[in-house]
Amino acid sequence: MEISGISILSLVTIIVACLLVIALMVVNALVMVYVERKGSGFIQRRPGPYEVGPWGTIQAACDAMKLLAKELFVPANVDFFLYFLAPVLAFLPVLALFIPIPFGPFLTTLKVPDGVVLILAFAGFGLLANLLAGYASNNKYGILGAGRAVSQGVAYEIPMILALLAVVFQTGSMNLSEIVEAQGSAPWRWNFLCQPIAFFIYLVTLVAETNRAPFDLPEGESELTAGFHTEYSGMGFALFFLAEYANMLLVSFVCATFFLGGYKGPILDGFWWTFIKAYAVMWFIVWIRWTFPRVRFDQLLNINWKWLLPLSILNLWITAVVIKIV
Amino acid sequence: MQQETSSIIQTVLDYVASPIRALQEWLSEYLPGDEWAAYLAFAFYVILILSGGLGAILSRNLIRAMLGLVLTFLGVAGMYLLLASPFLAFMQLLIYVGAICVLIFFAVMLTRNTDGGEESRLPSLGSLFYGLLAFLAPLAVAGPLIVMYAGKVQVETPQTVPSGKLGAGLLSSYVLPFELISIILLVAMAGAVYLAFRGYSPKRSGDDQ
Repeated sequence: MEISGISILSLVTIIVACLLVIALMVVNALVMVYVERKGSGFIQRRPGPYEVGPWGTIQAACDAMKLLAKELFVPANVDFFLYFLAPVLAFLPVLALFIPIPFGPFLTTLKVPDGVVLILAFAGFGLLANLLAGYASNNKYGILGAGRAVSQGVAYEIPMILALLAVVFQTGSMNLSEIVEAQGSAPWRWNFLCQPIAFFIYLVTLVAETNRAPFDLPEGESELTAGFHTEYSGMGFALFFLAEYANMLLVSFVCATFFLGGYKGPILDGFWWTFIKAYAVMWFIVWIRWTFPRVRFDQLLNINWKWLLPLSILNLWITAVVIKIV
Repeated sequence: MQQETSSIIQTVLDYVASPIRALQEWLSEYLPGDEWAAYLAFAFYVILILSGGLGAILSRNLIRAMLGLVLTFLGVAGMYLLLASPFLAFMQLLIYVGAICVLIFFAVMLTRNTDGGEESRLPSLGSLFYGLLAFLAPLAVAGPLIVMYAGKVQVETPQTVPSGKLGAGLLSSYVLPFELISIILLVAMAGAVYLAFRGYSPKRSGDDQ
């Protein structure tokens, strides 16, 4: 039962996986909003949410209800079609992004041979959505935020790709499942030890690519009110919000797969290890948000073009030489 | 234990897939052979490419025109998938949608794109004529060939080439064209740097230290 290389069974698998990914995205957003608010409260020595439910646990669900019930406010003179296309375009590609991620030895949607390229290809749509949102909402803060999103996204994509490429060189495969299989169960046989520079570069660029503090310049509140999504309210804003948290989840899973041994762990391999590692990276993202102040925009670009890019090329070159010798 | 889980999930998936299989068998009686899905996908991608191209040409707004271009690139990526070269398809999306369209967008945003601009006027008769000529020229070359060889040439079903083999080919038998293309890109980059830094003196720009 083959249809141009893809059997009907894998089509069903993809549909089921997409539904599961949507569920994961929503639950992840609810959990992470609570964790982030409690975590930031802990770091800043204040209680965080505590009124709604025991220890404020229902706060995130109430926020979601508020967003659902809110009026969709459309400002005057917006490009109507593009204005409503942008949040959908931010949300939809995320479904394709989770296809090659190996959650567990069996729990993988499709073992795509060029999985890395698939993820990088569809990640570009998120940037396009931010641009469209900033342009279509007919707001100067929006346009400024979109302009910053382009120069930041395009710049930080390059060291990110080069850092991932070093691991691909080492493994000799772009299939994410094979990259996990090439790493051992013990923590000292994971890739972050033999690729420390690539791991560091990836950790920096993943924060920048998801537009999170200290690199959250496209939506910096104190300068641009909310950047590209200034004019979005209700579900439009909620879709951007969901997409941002889903992108955080995705880069965390990619980090766990490439550098932290994926579903392999010291005791009993399985999908639980992937989730534990991915959420450790998520906590890292929340943690550095409240640790470093926001950088200035020229500093942001200088860090990338003058430090990360040469460093990642050097790392790639060293990796290639070592592979050739060994 | 993982083997057991996998077989159970396989059974469940088989059960879920059974109505789709029945539908496919029913459809296959009315469509030409096993290739009906390929025809369907081909038609879909052609519609994507043509409608995207028309949107890019006819739109009075530069950003919407660029979205038409994105749609065309998506269709072309689909065509690559249909030709069993997923690596090329993903690269098409990564480079053209993720980088080139985003940079076009940036360039458009830096200009003042009001509706009364030059691009919103209808083209003159002369440029329409040249446009038609440019459209017909490839048709004049390819048209007779298609008519001559229609139904006579058998093309095998394309096979997926692993990307490792692709890279080895680019660096062994096709190394000359590969390097020449990179020289062209280098020349373009040098030109861009020259244009951007013409009339630049370090004294006037220094406020970042």
